[in-house]
Order: sequence, then structure tokens, then C-alpha cells
Amino acid sequence: MDTVFGISYDGGVVLATDQVNARSILMYQQNLDKIAELSSHSAMGVSGPNCDLVNFSEYISKNLKLYELSNDGAKLSTHAQANFCRGELAKALRKGPFQVNVILGGYDEKAPTGGSLYVMDYLGSCTKAKFGAQGYASNFCLSIMDRDWGEGMDEDMAVKLVEKCIRELEMRFLINQKNFIIKVIDKEGVRTLKYGADPADN
Amino acid sequence: MFGSSLVIGDDILDIGSHKFDAGRTDQRAIGSGAMIPARLALGEPGQFDVPDVPDPAHFCRNNFASACGNGDQGQSVKFAKGTTTLAFKFDGGIIVSVDSRSTMGAYIASGTVKKVIEINPFLLGTMAGGAADCSFWERNLGTQCRMYELRNKKRITVAAASKLLANTMNSYRGYGLSMGTMITGWDGTGPQLYYVDNDGTRLHGRYFSVGSGSTYAYGVLDTYYRTDLTVDEAIDLGKRAIYHACHRDAMSGSINNLYHVTRDGWVKIHAIDVNDMHYEYLEEKRNAMASS
Amino acid sequence: MARRYDSSTTTFSPEGRLHQVEYAIEAINNAGTSVGILAKNGVVMASEKKITSGLLAQARTSEKTYKLCAHAACSVAGLTADANILIDQARLRAARYAYQYQEPIPIENLVEHVCNYKQAYTQYGGLRPFGVAFLFAGYDEAHGFQLYQSDPSGNYSGWKATVIGANNQAGKSLLKTEYGVSKKDGDGDEMKTDDAPLSDVIEMPDVAEACRLAVKVLNKTMDGAVASAEKLELFTMSLDEAGNCVHKILTEAEAKAVIAEVDAEAASAGDT
Repeated sequence: MDTVFGISYDGGVVLATDQVNARSILMYQQNLDKIAELSSHSAMGVSGPNCDLVNFSEYISKNLKLYELSNDGAKLSTHAQANFCRGELAKALRKGPFQVNVILGGYDEKAPTGGSLYVMDYLGSCTKAKFGAQGYASNFCLSIMDRDWGEGMDEDMAVKLVEKCIRELEMRFLINQKNFIIKVIDKEGVRTLKYGADPADN
Repeated sequence: MFGSSLVIGDDILDIGSHKFDAGRTDQRAIGSGAMIPARLALGEPGQFDVPDVPDPAHFCRNNFASACGNGDQGQSVKFAKGTTTLAFKFDGGIIVSVDSRSTMGAYIASGTVKKVIEINPFLLGTMAGGAADCSFWERNLGTQCRMYELRNKKRITVAAASKLLANTMNSYRGYGLSMGTMITGWDGTGPQLYYVDNDGTRLHGRYFSVGSGSTYAYGVLDTYYRTDLTVDEAIDLGKRAIYHACHRDAMSGSINNLYHVTRDGWVKIHAIDVNDMHYEYLEEKRNAMASS
Repeated sequence: MARRYDSSTTTFSPEGRLHQVEYAIEAINNAGTSVGILAKNGVVMASEKKITSGLLAQARTSEKTYKLCAHAACSVAGLTADANILIDQARLRAARYAYQYQEPIPIENLVEHVCNYKQAYTQYGGLRPFGVAFLFAGYDEAHGFQLYQSDPSGNYSGWKATVIGANNQAGKSLLKTEYGVSKKDGDGDEMKTDDAPLSDVIEMPDVAEACRLAVKVLNKTMDGAVASAEKLELFTMSLDEAGNCVHKILTEAEAKAVIAEVDAEAASAGDT
């Protein structure tokens, strides 16, 4: 039911998720933040049952924090973070999996265009991508991304593309996802660009 | 025997992860042969509570087989259902309002269940799902919170307390626990309200309702909730939301227990029979109609 | 009674010392010497091979220098048998890191892991410490070429040039006068303070120069005897055009050439 987007551009990545937390026939919240900030320059959009979502993102972000503390402040590259995540998903798979699908984005000084994006599922597969979508939304939005994504896009174009996808969901998707949160990761770090409802407001 | 197997469920919110129905069909097949005359060899009527049905044994096997100690393969512990609990934050603190009915299938096992669990003078928990699971784990939470106080020389925050419970639920995931609870209290950060359930979900919010009657309670709550309610208005909202849920939901009813959480801890406001409320509100509505 | 504190590695003596650990460190000071030198385009490690008997079959490749992973190697002083255990640990750690993160392990992380393993043996009951000191040479993206040394206590430190094993004091004092004269004030001990590459702060040798310096140091530490090609193992690490780490142990002929260069240098300087 959840929607997660990620789009890379020249100099960073944009991540977006819906803000709904629902189970069965009931909607619990519409202001959830499903994009976990992992380190100063990386974040992941996570979809799945709330408990797995919270547990997994806390587990990963705290482990990456631990790495920084025990390696004299050295941060893992986005590539290493993604592979660590993938490894943990695969490790958990045979003993009570995290039912989460992940799009992880980060900015590296050394990466060719700065931003990089990795798409993962709960089975532990992981691919580097220029853009990605997860959930039912992928049925509507991957085509839009195929159509519009191009090399050399800037942040503004990437955000506009995300918004195009959100508009398509409003138009065609059965499930009401009123609010979306959009975060940008570039050389300045992770920042929340906009949201439908403030996650801190409760 | 029935007292020990009391369960108040939230089956309406069951997403189908339990093998409830499959187990049930099997039980029916096994039990169908045993027809025992009503109230046979069960002692003096009234001395011993038994479902008032033609065949109590058959009824039990069908509706709460695992309590009989046999034939519960594949059936989760959860076998009865029905409750309405709610809690909301407002400017004057937090209102926690619940019903008190406990059902086992179509049978009302109790009408005087305390579904607000007083964890300590500053923390309240609510009960939905398995009564034993709720009271046991919330009591367990109480001891953990006390240990925290002794170790750290300060009261635990509601955020931390609810996380302890969520962590416990997480470590028992898949073991068939059934619990949907709201943990409320007032700590250094002000009034706080968390929802915690047996699959490990933990949510922070302004208001929640849990149980089979929660959808009805949400209806009233969503429509009439404001943060700037006065204490009296808030108490009335909590009371009415439970009343309307009890009216529509067969598994909810009996007494409405209502608590108010303030800076100085919680206070129990009232325990009113929803049946009395029904006539009170009916009267009120009639008067309103007449005057308009 | 003093013996009481000798028998167990895990007990402090009344003076606050761990005798067994100190003995282990002492044992290293009699082992074959190893020199490590950081160059601006690589790292050089040179080790003395103690030839015990002419009948002994020569190790086909190396006996003092071990590759740990694509971008790290170590040189051993001390008990080779003990070293093999630690080298296994290091290789395992490097491989596990690469498996977990799909990216090469930072050198210090690798060194720290081996040293933690060593440290455990100075603390937990009934075990003797590893009688091994290492020089670690490595390259990573974050900090470029690096050189570390470790001792049996589990201590480690990063160096521009250092010596372990027999006569290491003499070797170090030679390095101090000959290695990397500061561009600022001529003091080889100049601390690197900012993120500027080390080669900007001090005059660093290139790999060839470092090789010669290493041979010079071994000449000094191998008391009396002159370093001969069959008695030393010269290892270099550098990057190729593609940016890959190249490990190389100099062949006897190559080593001979270096030794000849050093001799020629000494002769022309008027030094016998």
C-alpha cells in the first residue's frame, strides 16, 4: 500500500514517500515520516508494516552511527551503506524477515554525479538505479520516470518529476494518499523539502 | 475456568494473519457429535457461570477451543472479541475512556472489566485484545518502569515506557500475543499518548481508539475532537464516543470508565453504565428537538 | 615471589606491570629486523631473513611479508607460527568487511581488529600473548598510503618510517636523520596538522628512494654483516595506472641492484 520514490540527479537525489500509516480498514496517521536519515548525507525511504519500518530503519541508522563512532568519524560510502542494508535484509530473511522495501539514496564527494540511489526489496536484492519506485505506485509512475528522467537533470527538475508522479497517483490510484514527504540529499546533507503534514505535529 | 480465559479481542482489525477460521472449522467437525442436555452435571445454576446455550461444551469448543486444552492445533490464542477503548490529548491533559464488556463469542463473560490499567500514578495503559496479555505485559511494564526510576532517580518518560512495551511485543512477535493498548501519561515533555500493539507497532499521536468498536468511536472523535476543549467538554466527548461505540458494537458495552490525566498524575472521573447514558442522551435529544 | 607475576599474563605485578607482555615485546627486539617507509607514491617494507641453515629449502615467495587483501600487506617480526594465526584473522576480517560492504576495508580498521585480537591474549586467563610485531602497509581511499606498526600488547601506531625487531633503535635514529626533511624547518618529526597531503609538508621519498633508504637501515641494523640480496626481502606497494594496488616482492636480481645503488651512493659520499 505504501509508495516510495527515488530520483537521482546531477548533484544529489530526491526521495519521496507517502505519509499514511494504515492497517486493515483503518488509517492511523497521515503525517508519518517514512524517510529515515541514516547519516549526514544519506537517507532511505522505507515501506512496510509500521513495526518493521521503524525497527529496520532504527537498526540500520544506529549501526551506521556505531560505525562512525568506532572508525574515528569515517563515514561509509552510499555504496557500502546499501550493501550493508542488503546484507541485513538477507540475513533476516530466513529468521523472521523485515517486511520492508527500501530505496536508499546518498551523496558522496567521490561519486561521479554526487548522488547515488539503490533499490532494495525485503528478499535482499539490491540494484543501483537512476530512479525507482516501490509499491503499487510503481505501476503508475515507473513509466513517467522512464519518459521524463534524463542525464544532467538538476534538483528542481527531479522534484518536479516526483510531483508529476504524485499527481498521477492522485488521479489514478484507488488508495487515498493525501500527504507526501519529499527529502533532498545533496552536498549540503539531507533536508526535508516539503511535506503534506508535519511529522512532528502530534 | 472461564475467568482465567477472559479475552477481549480486536478481531475486526485482524489482518488475517491468524489461522483463526481454519482452526474453527475443524473444531466444529469434532464437536458436532456431542450433544449434552443443557446444564447437566454443572452444579447449581447460578453458582457456576456457564454459557447459556443448549450445549455449553460444544459451544466452548467452537468459540474458544484452546481454553479446553485440546484440539487447538493451528488456532491462535485469540478466540473471542469485542472492546472499545479510546484516549485523546487536549489542552487540559489527556482523557482515557473505555467500556468494560468482555465477551467470549456471543457470550458476555463479564460486564465489569477494568480496561484501564493503572501502571503507576503517572502512567495509564488500556486493554484491548487478550485481557491476560494486556494485564500481564502492562504489569511487567510497571516493574520495568519502577526499575528505571530506581536506577535513574527520575520518572520514566511516556516515550521510553511505550518503547519498552513495544520492544517486548517485538521480541514475542509471532508467539500469538494479542494486545492493542494506549500508553498515556504526563512527563517532563508534557502530556503524551502512544499506541502500542502486539505486532510491535508504536505510534505517537493526538488521539487513538482501539478495539472492535474503535471505528464507531473514531467516527465521533474525528467529528467532535478539538485541542481546545474544556475539561468538561473533553470528559463529555470521551463518554459519548464510548457510548456510541457501545450502542453500535455488540461486543462493547456495560460500564464506561473514564480517566483524566493531568500534570499531577491521573484521576478517575467516573464509571457510568452505558445503558443509563442511553436514556440520558435520548432524553436530551428529545428536549433539544422539542425546543427547536 | 616475583615469579608469581611471571606465570600469569592476566595479573599485574605490585609495580603495576604485566611481565609476560613485556617479555613478549622484548622477544621481538631480538627478532629479524623489518623496516617500513612511507613513500609519496607507495610504501616500502624491507625485512631481514635470518638464514638458520644452508640446508633449509628456500621459501618460494616470501617468508616475512604477507598479503592480507588487495590493498594491504604486513611484515612480521617475531614468531612466524604466532603470526600465521594473526594473519589469518586479518585476512578474514578484510574479506568479511568486503563481503558486508562490498568495498575495501579501511587500513586502520584492519589494523585495529588484529590488535584487538592481540590485546585479548594479554587479558584473558591462561593464555600467552602473541610474540609478534607487525608492520602494516596499506592503501585506502580516505587516507592514501599508510604505514602502521603493532606490538604484542596490542598497541598500534601510524608512522612515516619505522623499524621493528633487532636493533630497531639504531634503525630509527638513522631514519630520523635521513627521512623526509620538512619543507618548513628541516625537522623530520614535523606533525602533520591539516588535511594537506603529507608530501606537501615534508620532502617524501619516492618508492625507489625509499627502497634504498630501507636497505641502508638494514645495513646498519644487521650488525657487522652487510645486507645481501639473499638475506633481505624487499616489498613495495604502489598504484598502477588504473588505480589498482600493486604488491611486489623484489626478485633477487632487483634486490641486488638496489643494494648496488646503495653501495655506490655510500662510496661516492666517501663513506666506506
